[in-house]
Amino acid sequence: MSAPAAPSRSPARRRRTANNTIAMAVSVVMVFPVYWMVATALKQRAHILSSVPQFFPWPMSLANFHRALDKTGFWTFVRNSLTVTLSSVVLSLVISLFAAIAIARFRFAGRKAVLTILVLVQMVPAAAMVIPVYLMLRSIGGLDFVPGLVLTYMTFVLPFTIWTLRGFVDSVPVELEEAALVDGCGRFQMYVRVLLPLLMPGIVATSIFAFVNAWDDYIFAYVIMKSQSNYTLPVWLVSFKTSESVDYGAMIAASTIFSLPVLVFFLLVQRRLVGGMTSGAVKG
Amino acid sequence: MAITEKQSPVRAPDRARTGPPGGRRPARSRLLPWAMVAPALAALLLVQGYPLVRLLVLSTQDFGPRSLFTGESDFVGLGNFTRLFADSDFLAVLARTVVFTLVCVTLLMVLGFLLSHLLMGVSAWARVVTSVCLVLVWAMPMVAATLVWQWMFQPQYGVANWLLTRVKVFGDLSAYDWFSHPVPALGLIIVLTVWKGLPFVALTLFAARGQISESLYEAARLDGAGTLQMFRHVTIPIMRPVLAILTILEVIWSVNSFTPIWVLTQGGPDGATTTLGVYAYITAFSRNQYGAGASVAVVTVVVLALFSIAYVRRLSRQGEVV
Repeated sequence: MSAPAAPSRSPARRRRTANNTIAMAVSVVMVFPVYWMVATALKQRAHILSSVPQFFPWPMSLANFHRALDKTGFWTFVRNSLTVTLSSVVLSLVISLFAAIAIARFRFAGRKAVLTILVLVQMVPAAAMVIPVYLMLRSIGGLDFVPGLVLTYMTFVLPFTIWTLRGFVDSVPVELEEAALVDGCGRFQMYVRVLLPLLMPGIVATSIFAFVNAWDDYIFAYVIMKSQSNYTLPVWLVSFKTSESVDYGAMIAASTIFSLPVLVFFLLVQRRLVGGMTSGAVKG
Repeated sequence: MAITEKQSPVRAPDRARTGPPGGRRPARSRLLPWAMVAPALAALLLVQGYPLVRLLVLSTQDFGPRSLFTGESDFVGLGNFTRLFADSDFLAVLARTVVFTLVCVTLLMVLGFLLSHLLMGVSAWARVVTSVCLVLVWAMPMVAATLVWQWMFQPQYGVANWLLTRVKVFGDLSAYDWFSHPVPALGLIIVLTVWKGLPFVALTLFAARGQISESLYEAARLDGAGTLQMFRHVTIPIMRPVLAILTILEVIWSVNSFTPIWVLTQGGPDGATTTLGVYAYITAFSRNQYGAGASVAVVTVVVLALFSIAYVRRLSRQGEVV
């Protein structure tokens, strides 16, 4: 962190200082709602509903979190969300890892068709799919049924995970694999011993992004999961809001609990993720 | 996400490493890649392919509440569509969606581009701080973001009304209810969408910009190019594929935006914030007209597909994408 030294008169220097100032102003404006969520969650009840907003939560209090956690079913919703999200992420990662290796490492007839399908599938809007998916699951008794939701998420996550993993496989030099084959490794063994460890960072980044997509889904969970005991966190959070008297403190605290893991994970893998996404689009 | 691929035919031959060089490949290794792709394709067909076909069929049926139980529905041909286009409600929704999308995507692309440019010209510490802030916004779940937005714009206790009243430009906004006025409600949803989407655009463009060699800019500078000319002749041409993909993605996401609208206003007041995604949902699930809802969805898909195909084709003629 090099703090700007004594102000020099050079125009380049001055322009940099001006840019820094603008960047800080933009940062404050952008991050304010995130800050406001955490700050509100930590406030005492009396300070939340006051006509003059309190900008720093002092004295801090965890009462909002306690009330949110005490709501009936909170842990059930956490468990539902985790079950659905984790199963869809794990399943789609295994499936897409195979597909990604095939696409990145083999030239096979129909490879281009597979790529085209992946592009096209992403154009189909989720809001359009929810109607037939609902009727389909309804006719086979899959409404309110966890595997139905898992399958739905999986397929929305798949095109993305295949695409990014393919980028990560591409960035592993083929020579490493060839060397392993020459040394007498079987193909499968080569994948497990050579490719997989090198792909680990990419797999982690991809799975976190896939996790967020499923974790944050509202419309499918809302339409498919009918009974309250099957709600996922987003559905519950929104239903929180419509109960007659909104407990804003508890609602914002619950939103914070819902967001925090994602915020932390994302900060850790962000750089890789952007790299993985742009590598296919910009280079070459 | 970004789905482009630079075809490099030169690279192709040495990539086909599924058998001994020169010899005929054994059947097993010709099938191997297909076996590896098969599970993914099967899953996509099951939960994307089949519903898509079902959606098309549904849009030509009169599938109402009774059909849910009997399983029977009348075939009405293009009836759903002719009725849609004769419906002034739907035309208003269509027009609103176009305006909403144009405003969101324009703001996102322009602000995102400026922000990525800004990130190039700041000190290292400022870049770290700004990126962290952007990532926090990007990572925040949409549902949580929308609820926080709702709280910030709560009429009596919201921080936004208090701040805006303080600024004294807009008059006294304490107790102003944003969500019960059509234009402010839609405006607020646009601001939320742009705020939430900006980090992805800015960070992706920044990453793309970082891959452009500085020597190009030095050469341009030697030729006497100013900042604007460098944008026009260096940055934008090189980044065009990324800009195109981002634009397409943002158009798709804006047209289909559902969570922020549904959670904040449920499409109201009086339908003033209903866009295509919400309209399809309301038609199908609130009015139980699944056939009519499906035809709204089909119109959406067709509009998006036409737009995307036109765009992708133009790019592929320039040899830039796929």
